[in-house]
Amino acid sequence: MAYSDKVLDHYNEPRNVGSMDKNAKDVGTGVVGAPECGDVMKLQIQVEGDTIVDAKFKTFGCGSAIASSSLATEWIKGKKIEEAMEIKNTDIVQELSLPPVKIHCSVLAEDAIKAAISNYKHKQDGETVGAEAEKQTEGAQ
Amino acid sequence: MSTCPSCGVELETPLGCAACGALLELGADATPFEILGLPIGYDVDPTDLRKRLLRFSRLVHPDFYATADEALRSRAESGSAALNSAHEIVADDARRADWLLRALEGPSETDERQMPQEFLMEVLEWNEALEEARESAPGSGARSALTPLEETLNAERASVLAEVARSLSPTPAPGAPALTETRKRLNALRYLDRTLAEMRALRLEQAANR
Repeated sequence: MAYSDKVLDHYNEPRNVGSMDKNAKDVGTGVVGAPECGDVMKLQIQVEGDTIVDAKFKTFGCGSAIASSSLATEWIKGKKIEEAMEIKNTDIVQELSLPPVKIHCSVLAEDAIKAAISNYKHKQDGETVGAEAEKQTEGAQ
Repeated sequence: MSTCPSCGVELETPLGCAACGALLELGADATPFEILGLPIGYDVDPTDLRKRLLRFSRLVHPDFYATADEALRSRAESGSAALNSAHEIVADDARRADWLLRALEGPSETDERQMPQEFLMEVLEWNEALEEARESAPGSGARSALTPLEETLNAERASVLAEVARSLSPTPAPGAPALTETRKRLNALRYLDRTLAEMRALRLEQAANR
């Protein structure tokens, strides 16, 4: 299967690779996985007010999973939280011309955005750390 | 078990008859277990399975039909292919469990896609250790740290698989709620296997460069 030029571009030069302090109050972290292939993706956002000012990701998986998360971080940077919630996996599929067998990679990226936002919101609610993991899991579904 | 339409002897496999050598048309709905003449279930004796593969291969081997008419030739080819893919499923613990889970109308991997956050964090850590080892020089600390990690993951794989075996033996009722747990374990196995495969690849690469 041949990767599209856009996938190759993100794969060769992934944007926003890295990590943030997951304990910082203005950082939301989402970790999601694809049971179809065992890929795992971490996406983090830094929020000021209601705007995502920075985003980082780390993905262990195929080229399409890396490209999907790279694109996702590019898209959400500078967006308001509510706008970022609107991003659909189908938008990613379209932008990267992903073939049907790689659609789950885009689902993973959408889940990761939602999980990171949910984690961030949860932190702002000031609830206990113990309940956090559960909330994050729910948010990723 | 049905009987051979040519000679009436009881059939061991729907592929063909060992007594008279008749090559039979395989129904599209034949299960891997049926093809191998086994009852549906998780517990399989590997030695017996191997013997069945060899015994039934002789019945359907396309070489024996090289000069036969086209219909028979293609029946031998599709029979061999069906036998081989049935064996691949039944011989592999994880694939056999996955097949059973589907047959028992348990949840699919996508129905139960969400893993506990802690587990995914752990998967992320394994992969980070792997990445660090890949980027460091052979013999470095990051490289040697991988050996105990690989052992740990192999042990975890064995224990997850043992739990899968326990949950499927005896065979649960179709749609049993316990099948959800089994699916989660099979999903965990996939993350383990992906990481272990990369560790092996790195080890081989290292050995080749020596």
